[in-house]
Amino acid sequence: MTLWKCSGPCASTCKQDVLQKKKNAVLVDGVILNGPITDSKAGEKFVEEACKIIMEEIIQKADDVTEKVCEWRAPETLKKILDLEMRDTGESHQKLLQLCQDVIQYSVKTNHPRFFNQLYAGIDYYSLVARFITEALNPSVYTYEVSPVFLLVEEAVIKKMIEFIGWEEGDGIFNPGGSVSNMYAMNLARYKFCPEIKEKGLSGLPRLVLFTSEECHYSMKKAASFLGIGTENVYFVKTDERGKMIPEELEKQVQRARKEGSAPFLVCATAGTTVLGAFDPLDKIADICEKHDLWLHVDASWGGSALISRKHRRLLHGIQRADSVAWNPHKMLLAGIQCCALLVKDNSGLLKKCYSAKAAYLFQQDKFYDVSYDTGDKSIQCSRRPDAFKFWLMWKALGTTGLEERVNRALALARYLVEEIKKREGFQLLLEPEYANVCFWYIPPSLRKMEDGPEFWQKLHRVAPVVKERMMKKGSMMLGYQPNQGKVNFFRQVVISPQVSREDMDFLLDEIELLAKDL
Amino acid sequence: MAEQSDLERPAVDGAAGEEFLRAAFQVLLEEAVRKGTDVAQKVCEWKEPHELRELLDLELRSHGEPAGRLLERCRDIIRYSVKTCHPRFFNQLFSGLDHHALAGRLLTETLNTSQYTYEIAPVFVLMEEVVLAKLRELVGWNSGDGIFCPGGSISNMYAMNVARFQRFPESRQQGSRALPRLVLFASEECHYSIQKGAAFLGIGTDNVVLVRADERGKMIPEELEKEIERVKSEGAVPFFVSATSGTTVLGAFDPLGPVADVCQRHGLWLHVDAAWGGSALLSRKHRQLLAGIERADSVAWNPHKMLTVGLQCSAFLLRDDSGLLQRCHGAGAAYLFQPDKFYDVMFDTGDKTVQCGRRVDCLKLWLLWKAVGSEGLEQRVDRAFACTSYLAAEMKRRDGFQLVLEPEFINLCFWFVPPSLRGQQGCTDFGPRLGKVAPAIKERMMKEGSMMVGYQPHGTRPNFFRQIVTSPAVTRADLDFFLDEIERLGCDL
Repeated sequence: MTLWKCSGPCASTCKQDVLQKKKNAVLVDGVILNGPITDSKAGEKFVEEACKIIMEEIIQKADDVTEKVCEWRAPETLKKILDLEMRDTGESHQKLLQLCQDVIQYSVKTNHPRFFNQLYAGIDYYSLVARFITEALNPSVYTYEVSPVFLLVEEAVIKKMIEFIGWEEGDGIFNPGGSVSNMYAMNLARYKFCPEIKEKGLSGLPRLVLFTSEECHYSMKKAASFLGIGTENVYFVKTDERGKMIPEELEKQVQRARKEGSAPFLVCATAGTTVLGAFDPLDKIADICEKHDLWLHVDASWGGSALISRKHRRLLHGIQRADSVAWNPHKMLLAGIQCCALLVKDNSGLLKKCYSAKAAYLFQQDKFYDVSYDTGDKSIQCSRRPDAFKFWLMWKALGTTGLEERVNRALALARYLVEEIKKREGFQLLLEPEYANVCFWYIPPSLRKMEDGPEFWQKLHRVAPVVKERMMKKGSMMLGYQPNQGKVNFFRQVVISPQVSREDMDFLLDEIELLAKDL
Repeated sequence: MAEQSDLERPAVDGAAGEEFLRAAFQVLLEEAVRKGTDVAQKVCEWKEPHELRELLDLELRSHGEPAGRLLERCRDIIRYSVKTCHPRFFNQLFSGLDHHALAGRLLTETLNTSQYTYEIAPVFVLMEEVVLAKLRELVGWNSGDGIFCPGGSISNMYAMNVARFQRFPESRQQGSRALPRLVLFASEECHYSIQKGAAFLGIGTDNVVLVRADERGKMIPEELEKEIERVKSEGAVPFFVSATSGTTVLGAFDPLGPVADVCQRHGLWLHVDAAWGGSALLSRKHRQLLAGIERADSVAWNPHKMLTVGLQCSAFLLRDDSGLLQRCHGAGAAYLFQPDKFYDVMFDTGDKTVQCGRRVDCLKLWLLWKAVGSEGLEQRVDRAFACTSYLAAEMKRRDGFQLVLEPEFINLCFWFVPPSLRGQQGCTDFGPRLGKVAPAIKERMMKEGSMMVGYQPHGTRPNFFRQIVTSPAVTRADLDFFLDEIERLGCDL
């Protein structure tokens, strides 16, 4: 429907001219411009066939435990198998499909029920559909004019997440990772503390100091360095035997920093530490922050999803007292990498003031719609993916109760595993988990009679890496191991996916026994 | 143990999920891929924000919805989204849809992994290295380092941080407060991420010196030299220059050779923000726009712009191959980068980044490259240039179109002067009146959904259009339509 009809004096000559031009072929700079140079029919066929392969090789096999989790090849071997070279000419349709097959074959199946290696796992069909739609539409979430739907979706999701944190209102943005969310929070806290830093930088200023648990995510260090604060100005607070920040120690550290003449400005508490899955005592920490007028950021990238469960949300009791929260639905809620929100309690536009640059070519003030919808200037990014959308569609599909069931089930499975570990000889829990991280040693028969002492621990330290190597070469499962706080290598089993069931937990223990029995 | 019965079977209905996926895929194929690229369809279905909110029913509730309703939602999402793949979407520095890259992206989503270690992303760790090496080769380096970042803005920030670290390695631990006042330089036409980066990194936006550009939007090397001297005389420390290869608005290319000379003379890190213009390196005919780029210390290049691979695909390339990136960013987290793994941990490249989890951005570019080869990409780049030449020539022939400047890249900046304003250049209010034309035409085109093109003011210039063609699906008919449509929508203004 044409809304404006050209009725000016030029109208009739315009039309004639146009008709004339359309008949002639045009060669410009050696390029013929008439038709497109891509064959969209062939292209669509390729997409359909590639998706068929995706469907058969990944999706349909996703919950099949008889399939391998990984098809291990050493790096140099894999380099030879995969034809990675990028050449001057293109390959045939069939060859390209074969390449897709190869990529799939040698990629780790993170949606396998026995992939326990990271803080993400499994597959959600609704999130996947949303991600497929995102790819097909290829939007960028900076302005309403270019991505109206996704901007409004992000707004709705942030609002909902804020509700679960317990704030009346607030602000937020989706970021490419929890590490980046933590950086945002650090910078925001710094900006609130001293807004001139945005223009003047840090040179010559008092030494800013921030506090975080010694169990915090390593992105705190990276953030401090990237933001120009410096890694030595991150003061690590001691944790208790359960991996939780000790509030009295925090108080001590803040006092120490004050005595040194530095400027404390931020405390980062962790709700769900990476290794142990520990939750810092937020209420007590918030008390200290209030007392000393420090910004409280809660890194709930991993543990935030417990807020959705009425049963388990008490783990984050006190979170509404935070000034900012990082929460990654792509972890426990299977939203798909990446889906990471930074939520901010302040509703006065602090986020925008801190980050905006008001670029005239993108955030024009004379647009024909309300430009307060152009939220992209709150971000450090320019183009940005619509990461909230996959979470939104999944939430629409499952409802809060569906998401809650997932969290509850994951933690129930973890509980089951813990009970089984206690029953079986050779397995030793590091600590009673309160979340989905189950940390344990497996002590092979040969070491069970050994005296507790340095030699025992040294030998035990070598068990996990060997078991890991064996499981990966077999392709039967994947779980992580690491040393932590003076303790030798132990396994960190993480339960997330709703595809996982009790028998996978039994299998886990059986398989470790099998792989380690001769060690 | 409560709920044990819940644990016996997977809690997911795989069959229903697959069915939904299949149905949704058909919807997406038809509504987004086919219709989205069809000129007979609209580029956008404009709705006011409050109206759209109502329509979409965004509220998240406690109960889920049936598959049928969800599919309807998918249709709505697609319907009201702007079709950036449409041949008449000229609004941003990206557009179009490549099917091979799309397949790569769908595959990336389904495999859903993070790029940090070889153990969980073996194929992609190796692939990323190959892709980065290829991009470096085109820059002119046969060694070096790099990583894919979530956007060119962040690539620029990486450059700033690495430059700071290289000059002052202690800054990593001690922070910037202990350093003298650091100053960086970029053209006044630079991307705003330079300012955002300076603020974010604790350098401060006041310490970003914007160097004057000439009438073609190119940084003036003599001005850069002057500013560096001035800053030094103030007792501050110049440490970083960002030259832009393909500025956002005008598509200008800073003269890299002379700029590199200045940097060399003063011992400054030279970063080239080629996020937009980097893809011209694929064209033997047009790569001279970036002559001298091999002298850079770092380069940002976003294939998701001109090469249609899909957001995001932003490479940060580093000439140094001594492990500078690792030293600058590495934290050696024991739970992820264990040194006692059973394979060579040099393949765990994730510690080079400031991210932890990171999307796989290399597959879509790699698959596209495999599909069309460097020659195919060169063809596309050349074609985009040719489209721009054609449009520029046509504009010169038509009344009312006035180029802001002769484009050297594919940003075609122009004013449309409606008949009522023609011949009135002398009037004092000509500028303001002309400035109202583009917004009005933009509103009309969006409400009709016939096409989308951006406009902006620039310096003292009133609003002008910035037309960008990147998609190889754009035909000459689309270009003619573009001109006709501007005329049609604007002739009565």
